Amino acid sequence: MDTLTYFLPQVWFGILALFLFLYVMLDGFDLGVGILSLTASTEERRGMLMTSLGNVWDANETWLVLMGGALFGAFPLAYATILSALYIPILMMIFGLIFRAVSFEFREHSDNKRLWNLAFAGGSFLAALGQGFALGGVLAGIKVDAAGHFIGSTWDWLSLPSVVMALTVIQGYVLIGSTYLITKTEGELQTNHYRTANLAAWTTLLGAIALTITTPIFFEYARIRLFNPPQVYIFSVIPPLGVLLIGLLLRSLKQRKERAPFIWTILIFLLTFVALALVVFPYIIPTEITIYEASAALSSLVFMLVFIGVLIPIMLAYNVYQYVVFGGKVTGEQPEA
Amino acid sequence: MFEHFSDTVVLSRMQFALTSIFHMLWPILTTGMGIYLVIVEGLWLKTRNPDYYYHARFWAKIYLLNFGIGVATGLPMEFQFGTNWAPFSESVGDFFGSILGFEASMAFMLEAGFLGIMLFGWTRVPPVMHYIATIMVALGANLSTVWILVANSWMQTPNGGDFVDGKFIVQDYFQAILNPAALVSVSHMFLATLETSLFVIGGISAWYILSKRHSAFFATSLKIVLAATIAVAPLQIYVGHLSGEQVYENQPSKLAAIEARWETIPAGEPAPWSMMAWPNGKAETNEWEMNVPGGLGYILALKPTLPTPILGLKEWVPSDRPPLLGLIFYSFRIMAGIGVFLAALMALSVLQWLRGKLSDEAISQQRWLLRSWMFAAPLGYIAVETGWTVREVGRQPWIVYGQIRTAEAASNLPPGDVLASLSIFTGVYTLLLISALFFGSRILREGPNLSLPIPGVTVDPDGDSTPAEFVPDQRPVEAQQ
Repeated sequence: MDTLTYFLPQVWFGILALFLFLYVMLDGFDLGVGILSLTASTEERRGMLMTSLGNVWDANETWLVLMGGALFGAFPLAYATILSALYIPILMMIFGLIFRAVSFEFREHSDNKRLWNLAFAGGSFLAALGQGFALGGVLAGIKVDAAGHFIGSTWDWLSLPSVVMALTVIQGYVLIGSTYLITKTEGELQTNHYRTANLAAWTTLLGAIALTITTPIFFEYARIRLFNPPQVYIFSVIPPLGVLLIGLLLRSLKQRKERAPFIWTILIFLLTFVALALVVFPYIIPTEITIYEASAALSSLVFMLVFIGVLIPIMLAYNVYQYVVFGGKVTGEQPEA
Repeated sequence: MFEHFSDTVVLSRMQFALTSIFHMLWPILTTGMGIYLVIVEGLWLKTRNPDYYYHARFWAKIYLLNFGIGVATGLPMEFQFGTNWAPFSESVGDFFGSILGFEASMAFMLEAGFLGIMLFGWTRVPPVMHYIATIMVALGANLSTVWILVANSWMQTPNGGDFVDGKFIVQDYFQAILNPAALVSVSHMFLATLETSLFVIGGISAWYILSKRHSAFFATSLKIVLAATIAVAPLQIYVGHLSGEQVYENQPSKLAAIEARWETIPAGEPAPWSMMAWPNGKAETNEWEMNVPGGLGYILALKPTLPTPILGLKEWVPSDRPPLLGLIFYSFRIMAGIGVFLAALMALSVLQWLRGKLSDEAISQQRWLLRSWMFAAPLGYIAVETGWTVREVGRQPWIVYGQIRTAEAASNLPPGDVLASLSIFTGVYTLLLISALFFGSRILREGPNLSLPIPGVTVDPDGDSTPAEFVPDQRPVEAQQ
């Protein structure tokens, strides 16, 4: 039984990390494309950008819903404490996602496309901003009492590191959005996104450097964890690896490769995730609540694992199938629903 | 009145009520219409009559509009449990959170993962694969109903474990999932979404027929709808009766509120049904009432007397009684009245159908019947919203019936923050509603696009590829009549 109390929360932490990663990668490029739609010079091009997402954005966003549900079920205390502490960033994200979602449909039917273009880009930006602040807020720590309940103020999430974090998240989304669009477009539109990808690669690099330097300075817990064995060995590998990946990304952009930039970007995202997990694990609310303290009863974890665990490969399979069906470049011709 | 604006619990409740009342409007249609789309696409695959294919394409447009808003407004629902109801989430998360996880993984993801193929994949996948996608979308939407209603039913009749120091410890998951309210609630809501969607489709079809646009085309959808309502409308009344029995057995304070019954009716005595009443909570009596002798007995047990007593509101101290008695009382009667009206409309329409009055040529003369169908189109929504009002307000003052009080379940947020978010929700949702009605009516005015390419039919550039017997009537509408 003791191995289970140790092992099952870790399994669920891993599943949540997987859902979060899939969300950040998939809806990340959706939100990135949304922000990038501001750069499209004509309505036709903006329409093409939106068409490139039309059939996938909803499934991509569902990973967030799935992560929310899994966090609620597997770590109820963390779900309750984190969400009540992050009331304002969560609402920023929700209102952003609401506008992003309805713009697809409303723009299609509207005569006044400008209004819904703005809602689409603005919503995407607001959602990315809220997510960045939420992530920054969790990493900066949440004030809790002995029982793990939130006791801070609703503005605690706002700090210099969380601003840097929010800006970096937006950059990251723009980067993955650009590299996604490189795979989906051709001609002038594609050239444009080689440019935005290049720019975003540099700003993401700057953001990553800033976060790597400021995290140990601002957060004592991170400093203690990162600069002591065994984490220090892994931690010392991550920054050079990150620089190498960004270098490979910039090279592939220069060589006008179509798929490679997207793949390098995903690897950069993955590396960032590993780094974050290294800082956080085994805490779910850094230095206050571990995954073992926040986890649901073992029977719940097993019950959920039986139902949801089995479905993960199936969900992945039909999501991949969907991408296969809608593979290829988007054209000016939009399929009618 | 204004002191409520500084009360976090009241504000959080208002926000949850607003967001759920608004959210619900959209999935009601997509879950029911999903089944309708499975039917028409199946008819198309079976008969290859292009009309059915164009039905699938046309109604899918309305589906998409509703789906987009449903997704957008569903998101705040899931997060609100954590943001505004943190103590609730923490104490019941082991069970309630798992169920929301199931909803996301086996229902919502299924619908979202196949929706793109259903809407945009007509020419990209083989017809059979497309049909599978349509079935998966409908299945996913309806599984959402199952899990959401399981979670909510558990809040009505918690079962399968114990509350230890305010935290719910699950002993038996299947007992918790199959709690006393679960089966009947799932069925009642399933039929509600289906019935609402059928009458929306029927009402819109009636509008087209009345405006003499594509009359024959929409006579088809009206008849498909009518055939389905023959089963659905009476069944819903029966399941509604079962639902009432369930409340009588498990939530006596809710039943007392629905009936505005202050004094207990002992077992074996005739149980009257108060048809109309004006409950006064302060005076603990009804200012006036109209009773049907033995009516409640007949409603619950098909005989004038009942085997167990009907408890009156006075059995509970005022703080344990549901609030807003008038709202609960009249919401229930509106819901039930609509259920009866829709069944009656179905019966009348079937009668006219049997008399041959609904043929393509004669149907547009049935003006009063078609107008009734148009009038019925929004009624399902009203029935669902009032039904949920009874269900949720009737459960108060408990968030988990008899176990956790709503007032103890709210996050300790500054009231100003919740007031601000509530105001933004109100503004944004008003904008969404106006936009949806505007764009929805635009889709309806445009009508079906009968020139879309039919998958599997090679288009002859010189002529009409439609098989001869299905050539649409090109004459002016007047000549068609």
